[in-house]
Amino acid sequence: METIKAIIIDDEELARTLIRNYLKEIPGIQIIGECENGFEGIKAISDMKPDLIFLDIQMPKLNGFEMLELVDDPPEIIFITAHNEFAIRAFELNAVDYLLKPYSRDRLVSAVRKAGEKVRTGNRQTGKVKELINQPLSEKLERIVVKSGTKIKVIPVDKISYIEAQDDYVMIYSDEGKHLKQGTMKFYEDNLDGSKFLRVHRSYIVRIDHVTQLEPYSKDTYMLKLKSGVNLKVSRNGLKSLKDKFNF
Amino acid sequence: MQNPLLSNRKSFVTYMGIWTLIISIHIFLLMISERVLLVFALADGFISNILFSAIGLGIWFPIFFAKSEKEKLVNTIVNHFFACLVTVAIWTALTYFILYSLFADTEEYLEFLRKSLPWRAGIGVLYFGVIILAYYLIIYYRSFRENLVKEMQLKALVKESELNSLKSQINPHFLFNSLNSISSLTMIKPEQAQEMIIKLSDFLRYSLSNNEEKLTSLQNEIGNINRYLDIEKIRFGRRLTVDLKGSESCSEMKLPGMILQPLIENAVKYGVHESLEESVIEISCSCNGSALMVSIRNAYDPEYHYKKGEGIGLKNIRSRIRILYNRDDLLQIRKDKDHHEVRIIFPQQ
Repeated sequence: METIKAIIIDDEELARTLIRNYLKEIPGIQIIGECENGFEGIKAISDMKPDLIFLDIQMPKLNGFEMLELVDDPPEIIFITAHNEFAIRAFELNAVDYLLKPYSRDRLVSAVRKAGEKVRTGNRQTGKVKELINQPLSEKLERIVVKSGTKIKVIPVDKISYIEAQDDYVMIYSDEGKHLKQGTMKFYEDNLDGSKFLRVHRSYIVRIDHVTQLEPYSKDTYMLKLKSGVNLKVSRNGLKSLKDKFNF
Repeated sequence: MQNPLLSNRKSFVTYMGIWTLIISIHIFLLMISERVLLVFALADGFISNILFSAIGLGIWFPIFFAKSEKEKLVNTIVNHFFACLVTVAIWTALTYFILYSLFADTEEYLEFLRKSLPWRAGIGVLYFGVIILAYYLIIYYRSFRENLVKEMQLKALVKESELNSLKSQINPHFLFNSLNSISSLTMIKPEQAQEMIIKLSDFLRYSLSNNEEKLTSLQNEIGNINRYLDIEKIRFGRRLTVDLKGSESCSEMKLPGMILQPLIENAVKYGVHESLEESVIEISCSCNGSALMVSIRNAYDPEYHYKKGEGIGLKNIRSRIRILYNRDDLLQIRKDKDHHEVRIIFPQQ
């Protein structure tokens, strides 16, 4: 039987210690690393390629879900958290299990067994995380995490000027430059605050208070001017939404 | 408002049922004691009583709109007395003229009709009185039921607000995370686990025993905050440092219990939970004879802190202070680029 290699990602030392101690005498699993935040987690996952991660959700700067968005080929996940409100989202991400702190050794061991089953049968749904991360959220987005080179950047939605579609990706234009991120326009249209952002074209979502001017471009088409000086095309539907928003 | 007798089918049917009974008795009495012929008795009974049943429905409106509760009893009685006279006079006259024109060529019946005027008026007064009484009963029963419902709603509201204040005092995530830390400590440092259980229990006891209006000493309040911060230190280790100043010299000053706790929790939430590095929470107290000032200051990373507006915790504190001291200027929030500070002044009696 192959041993499962696992990493613990939790910002509280005692919480990590508990997992390690619970699993000390359990055969078939080996803890190969511990991380105390999401940034370390991303690095450890890409360096060590674990089969399984134990993941806390509430962590500084980058929460567990945001961390997963930035991992290219996520391993199996067991969420361990004190928050019960994220369970649905966790299972949508195809997590093996969702443990509520505090939890018993038996509960953890049964979760690890389930994970082992999944790893052994190779029944992993690679790419599923990425796909499901585009599901609507229960709350409006407040920040978007992106990778720029080896660095991770967190962009508050307030700093976004507009978003442009680029095949399977979106280009996010903020005060500090542009960032490419996997995702669909539909996801951002649904999950950005509708009072601040507006879809004006198949390829564009703009921040409403960055709009300075709307002018005719050719017959039936319009052009939107942003504070930054950028010009964006407006579709017929986009024009209708703009009219509704600004009452003209 | 609609007449209660018309507002649902059942009460209208009952009303008409009673009148049918009265009509039957009326006809029966005329035939037996006055020896009136069936055809006259039928006409007399139906016409006079159907007229009054219609008038009876109409009496509701003057009663409802007069709002007699606000008027003096004497006025109400006088009003109703005149209303009664007018109504009965109209009814008697109407009945008389209709029956008179119907049977104008039957001298025998007209004779009876003329003689019967006094007792018709008498019966009219009786009907009027009974209907008025019934309406008053309905009105009082309704307002009684309304009050009952209101009282129940009020009780539910009070319960809910009590529950909310309880909920706002104890953060479930803090509780469950602490219990998880204790669970971990039992395996590696049982003595420290025990110590943490005691601190957590003391903290919960203080939180639960707190009464919204009761004042406590700064010493008690700071003692509880220290227990809370000790627990958080066990959880976060080097990430949390507390710098407490000036509480000894003001230890007997008074402030509302549990008022600082939500502020400390916020400071931990934005200062420690969202920070990778060491984070300091500064608590400073100062006082003179007439007031105590407490300031809570923490660093926060503006890049990661986007929530706008005040949370429920801060709103609760504001409203408690407003209720207790009747002033709006006691709580101040200062923000610079990477620090957040809340200052509260507690006037002393």
